[in-house]
Amino acid sequence: MKKILLGLVTVFALNSCTDEDYDNLNHDPRNPEVVPASFLVTGGNTSYFYRMISTNVNQNIFRLVSQYWNETEYTQETNYDLEGRQISDSFWNEINMNVLYDLSEASKMVDTDVNLSEAQKINQKAIIDLLQVQAWQTLVDTFGDIPYSESLQGKDNLNPKYDDAKTIYEDLIRRAIESTNKINATEGGFGGADIIYNGDMSKWKKFGASLQLKLGIQLSDVDASLAQSTITSAVNSGVFTSQADNFTIVYPGAEPYTNPLWIDLIKSGRNDFVAANTIVDKMNSLNDPRRVKFFKENLGTGVFVGGEYGRATAFAGHTQISATLEDISYPGTLLDYTEVQFMLAEAAARGFAVGGTAESFYNAGIKASFEFWGNTTAEADAYLAQPTVAYATAAGDWKQKIGNQFWLAMYNKGFEGWNVWRRLDAPTLNLPQATQNPVPTRYTYPIRERNLNKVNYDQASSAIGGDKQTTKLFWDVN
Amino acid sequence: MRRNLKNLFVLGGLLLGSSLYAQEKTVTGKVTDSYGLGVSDAVVKTTSGQEAITDEDGNFSIQAKQGDLVSVEAIGLPSQSFTVGAGSEYNVSLKPTETVELEGAVVTALGITRDKKSLGYATQQVAGETVSAVPLSNFADALSGEVAGLDIKSSGTMGGSSNMIIRGFSSITGNNQALVVVDGTPINNGTYNTGDQTTGRGGFDYGNAASDINPNDIETLNVLKGAAATALYGSRGQNGVIMITTKRGKKNKGIGVEFNSAITVGTADKSTLPRYQKKYGAGYRPLTVREGGHPDNPYFTVGPGNSFVAQFGADASYGAAFDPNLMVRQWNSLFEGLPNYGRATPWVAAKNDPNSIWGTSTTYVNTASFSGSNEDGGFRVSFTNNLTDGNLANSELKRNTLSFGGDYKLTDKLKATANIIYTNNKGRGRVGTGYDGLNPMQSFRQWWQTNVDLKEQEQAYFLTRRNISWNATSLTNTTPQYTDNYYWTRYENYQNDSRDRYTGNASLDYKINDWLSLTGRYSFDNYDELREGRIAVGSAGSLGEYMYFKQSVSENNYDVMLNVNKQLTDNISLDANAGWNLRVEKIDRFIGTTNGGLLIPGLYSLSNSANGLTAANISQFTGTKKVDGMYARASLGFYNMFYLDGSIRTDRSSALWSGQQNRYWYPSVSGSFVFSELMKGSFINFGKVRANYAQVGNDTDMYNLYNVYTLNAPFNGGSATNPSQFKNQLLKPENMTEYEFGLEMAMFKNRVTFDVSYYNRKTTDLITPVDVSSSSGASSIFLNAGDMVNKGIEASLTVIPVKSEDFTWRLGFNFARNRNEVTKLAEGVDYLQLASLQGGISIGAQVGEAYGIIRGTGFVYDDNGNKVVGDNGQYLASATTTKIGNMNPDWTGGVKNTISYKNLSLSFLIDFQKGGDVFSLDTFYGYATGLYDNFTTGLNDLGNPVRNTLANGGGVILPGVKQDGTPNDVRVDASNGNGQGNPWGYLSGTSPRQAHVYDASFVKLRNVTLTYDLPQKFLDNTFIKKLSVSAVGRNLWIIHKNVPFSDPEAGLSAGNVQGYQSGAHPTIREIGASLKVQF
Repeated sequence: MKKILLGLVTVFALNSCTDEDYDNLNHDPRNPEVVPASFLVTGGNTSYFYRMISTNVNQNIFRLVSQYWNETEYTQETNYDLEGRQISDSFWNEINMNVLYDLSEASKMVDTDVNLSEAQKINQKAIIDLLQVQAWQTLVDTFGDIPYSESLQGKDNLNPKYDDAKTIYEDLIRRAIESTNKINATEGGFGGADIIYNGDMSKWKKFGASLQLKLGIQLSDVDASLAQSTITSAVNSGVFTSQADNFTIVYPGAEPYTNPLWIDLIKSGRNDFVAANTIVDKMNSLNDPRRVKFFKENLGTGVFVGGEYGRATAFAGHTQISATLEDISYPGTLLDYTEVQFMLAEAAARGFAVGGTAESFYNAGIKASFEFWGNTTAEADAYLAQPTVAYATAAGDWKQKIGNQFWLAMYNKGFEGWNVWRRLDAPTLNLPQATQNPVPTRYTYPIRERNLNKVNYDQASSAIGGDKQTTKLFWDVN
Repeated sequence: MRRNLKNLFVLGGLLLGSSLYAQEKTVTGKVTDSYGLGVSDAVVKTTSGQEAITDEDGNFSIQAKQGDLVSVEAIGLPSQSFTVGAGSEYNVSLKPTETVELEGAVVTALGITRDKKSLGYATQQVAGETVSAVPLSNFADALSGEVAGLDIKSSGTMGGSSNMIIRGFSSITGNNQALVVVDGTPINNGTYNTGDQTTGRGGFDYGNAASDINPNDIETLNVLKGAAATALYGSRGQNGVIMITTKRGKKNKGIGVEFNSAITVGTADKSTLPRYQKKYGAGYRPLTVREGGHPDNPYFTVGPGNSFVAQFGADASYGAAFDPNLMVRQWNSLFEGLPNYGRATPWVAAKNDPNSIWGTSTTYVNTASFSGSNEDGGFRVSFTNNLTDGNLANSELKRNTLSFGGDYKLTDKLKATANIIYTNNKGRGRVGTGYDGLNPMQSFRQWWQTNVDLKEQEQAYFLTRRNISWNATSLTNTTPQYTDNYYWTRYENYQNDSRDRYTGNASLDYKINDWLSLTGRYSFDNYDELREGRIAVGSAGSLGEYMYFKQSVSENNYDVMLNVNKQLTDNISLDANAGWNLRVEKIDRFIGTTNGGLLIPGLYSLSNSANGLTAANISQFTGTKKVDGMYARASLGFYNMFYLDGSIRTDRSSALWSGQQNRYWYPSVSGSFVFSELMKGSFINFGKVRANYAQVGNDTDMYNLYNVYTLNAPFNGGSATNPSQFKNQLLKPENMTEYEFGLEMAMFKNRVTFDVSYYNRKTTDLITPVDVSSSSGASSIFLNAGDMVNKGIEASLTVIPVKSEDFTWRLGFNFARNRNEVTKLAEGVDYLQLASLQGGISIGAQVGEAYGIIRGTGFVYDDNGNKVVGDNGQYLASATTTKIGNMNPDWTGGVKNTISYKNLSLSFLIDFQKGGDVFSLDTFYGYATGLYDNFTTGLNDLGNPVRNTLANGGGVILPGVKQDGTPNDVRVDASNGNGQGNPWGYLSGTSPRQAHVYDASFVKLRNVTLTYDLPQKFLDNTFIKKLSVSAVGRNLWIIHKNVPFSDPEAGLSAGNVQGYQSGAHPTIREIGASLKVQF
């Protein structure tokens, strides 16, 4: 029996690991549980830019939705098969998980960072909030009603309810104004870790104001008074005044931080896209000098032929995408001076006091676009002198005049081109040839939402008038 | 554990037949195994209660009366009996069989040897010869169809993994693989394949680590199916256990030497490869003149001298009809140095289509083993070399195994046993899987031009050593658009890997007294693995890449066990154990990948990275998990007729938080009643009913409690991202409850035996990363959510229709039917996606359905079950995704025939599966690109080629009805391969995903083995003790299947995502011969 006892003693000696020892084994020694806020802001920003700029058909098809480009061989996306390609899932997941959630965590990290001054905390939180507002607006403008007030709560709320899109807009406007106003341009923000403005808080303030303008203008058809007050706030606060203010990311040009287009257009070795006839035909008719900047002259000098939208159109024989956009370090630009000028033109046309006329901002917008793409001032002046372009003589009502030029100027910003088309009903887009599916006015909700958040999904679907690609958003009433 | 045997048979004697009164005498004899070697330690018993044990040569001597039935039993061998007649010398030959045995000694959980008749749960034993008969790289593949309720699915790639599932899937996202235990050492059976690999997005299948086990070292293999059988393994064993006992030292005079040599050659089964159409060549559609279409034939572009130029960039076969008189500039005219440079060649189907790449594989397996023993101990050493030269160019696997097993009696009371197996595994040129350029079948099944001749591609590569692809971008830009030259891929973009592994244990048994002993055991399974991947500069879509993967994985188990074995009264026996176990698992992994390409082409090194390595290129994973457990088990036997077993175990796991719950308890109880004890003399030789109930608790993997951020490549400072899968500190243990009933019988002089089980297994509180609305910030969150029920029937039946001195015919059947139902997921969630797969489908768990349904758009049916077409004549698709398939079979089974005549024996196994579905991404794309020889190239109802335009009488009327219920009469254009006129493929608005879901039923002739044992008389005067030769065949014939152009069993890899094919590899039919010699 002594030996048995000896055995048992051995057993308990071996068994003497405490619960504490065991618990410690569960903390991953190679990956952080806490990081500085700036890490997450950079993570969220790079994700957002990548998602809005890439032309990977699994990630961003907005250039097809707004018919700047056409696919050469595999035309599912061109024909708006959002469901079959799970386009909505991919977009919704990315913006919620890798942009908004990262930013909301960043905000918490700022709160608990003892190394920051109060003023710095306020500035950092304002930046984070403006970035969130921007991403939220993108989501609402894509889907309509979305989970907002109950979202981003992890396991505390697995089935967030959907909020009314208009109500979300009102809150976003409130947040944009408050955060812009909180920014103290003389205090520090994220400093050198700020990959957009390199710590220049005055530019963040301008960004906040421009964002207000963007929120306000979108509402003009449904809530003119809120639109007006928001736009007024934006103008008073000070929107972008030059290209130097643009919300731009300068890619170092080494993977993974390259121009996202380079991945799909060059690195892949594939030839998936050509210019769409929708934009090429219009530019040809306007004799637009930006064609040589937007596209290659692969068919001969001055010859531009777009692929018939929605049909498979061979890479050879059609106008191809500009080499500028293929450059590995071509910067990514989202909200910019050009867009701001066009929004102001639109605001003026709608009768809001924004310190200029529709025509003056229209001209400024076109000039800004020419400047951005590297055309000369003389080219811009000559272009504007054409009766088909000049504000006074261009065809159609103000919506068509501004809409056509705004849309052209938004080339390479597919999402904004789509916004212009929906808000101003101009230009006229084509029906895709293969299927004649109508151009989407929104994305349908993700398949995952239908499966995983069904009750709330059903409510939202009926609230917006049906979960269809052709359901119009609340602000898209005219 | 051999020592336990003697005690064992004190408990459970085998009493068959009736006895006659007669004079007692001394009966002697020799017990031999199938090789004619003496079997030591066999138990010889008479009906009058005498017992003897054979000596090292297999000799015994026992007192018996005439008419006594004498039974002989030895571990791992079926028992035999004889009736004592007038003579006094009886030799008994115990031939191993592969069919179910109802009696005899079996090794159960923790290596405890038990008499099978006393067990209250189902086990099924397979002889080692079954798994070594056909040389295989993975022993598990030999178990297909052999064991009721064990479902083996080989992924089909060279050296690939095998899915081993017992009684269905019981965890939603956790491991469902059976635990493999070798001589008491649990074996790490992970694949460590990437997530992309298991979901069909490319990568290599490195095989499961249990494939390191050398089939030639396996003595017996016992499958423990239910929770009651495996409860002592704790949660490790909850998916069932495959207990492997390796061969041990035979008690020989001197050293026994055995030599086995086998060679097999394998060729691809044509029925599992595409059949290519030979009517149309490259292209998706006719080109307009603006697109460069030739005015005389728009399927070609215009080349120098107004020549026809093939559409190189179009990876489809929906182009111009073949015509030998048509001269066309094809890919081979683009490259200087090729024989056809600058020349047009006839427009004809390729002589050597892609099926020509599947050459002959050869596998050589050579084993030499030496064994010996004396009265104090024994040993066996074996060395095996397994060399496979794969079916594809530049592919090979090498494995060397050195194993040692020995035991030694240190004193009368203390015995030491040790086993160690060293395995070195090397692979080169494994074949890529899934939707990836490294898998040649992606292009060959989905995106292909039927005019491309593979021999010419081979010549092009070897002449230039460049990536000369048929898929040139254009006449002027000859870099490949999507697809590399196949030979470039094989010789330049190959991977290699190696694994060095040490597995084994050392144990000490101390016999305290004649009924009490103490065992201490340390077992280990440690390996180091290296994987290297390359993509050469010049490959499509890449600037070159090198991947370096290195990991060390270890599992160490420490066991202490107290054993009680006591005859309490004449009729009551007690067999009990109590023990403690500590398991320590460690893993340390580094993965580095070059960034932005390779600076020096051909130099594969992380230091040759074009850009510096960042957080995005480096991945490290390190961790330790510990689980300690204590258990007690007791078995009582009454009158050799009733047996009652109970066990209880508690585990504490480091993977759970002590503040919530990290310890869990679970019991089991089982009983059996050998009712044949009451029916002696009837036609029933043996009969037993059994029942059991067991619970098993389970923990989770390490690091499922706390979220960590992923560090990205720095950008003006650090960058980090939140995980998409959220962890949860509040996880509690999972639970599984199972009950089981069974009946085992042997009748008509053991000519008919069967074993039937019914089980019902419920798993609750499954720790599952539950898919959630990503508006929560995560795509999935770990929760205790998910209940599943598996219930089913397993049956095996053996019939011996003929049995005579020279001729025996034995028929074995086995059958299993499992029904799975997901009964609960997280609150508000009724579908959990296991994987979102290319092709717009997902595989997941849905409440009220079986685990593993396939969801996607379905057909729309009318009330009579007809498919409904829309106004355009195309099938309508359901408005949203719906259930379109189920990966689980309805039932599976096998029939094995063994016929022996004198020294010749023939056995063949036919196995089958009914039901189960598989989605084919191959036909989803391949039917659109028109490469298959089927309805996409045939004639329509008008007798015209379907590919003619509608104006030219082409097109098809799809079988079905219109929305108004009348038969469909709308002819659909089928003239293009890109969605503007093709009702079969993947494009929008055309066929629902359900069109590519196939019934995975099959009937296969799986194995045939023909063996000849050289008669002993020819060997008498030689130094050879035994010699046998065999001819073997495996995967010989798929007798029936419904999946076109592939094997219904082909899959991605072992894991929970089954029922999906993408770039499926063919089945390899193997034929071989083997020689076994004993000296």
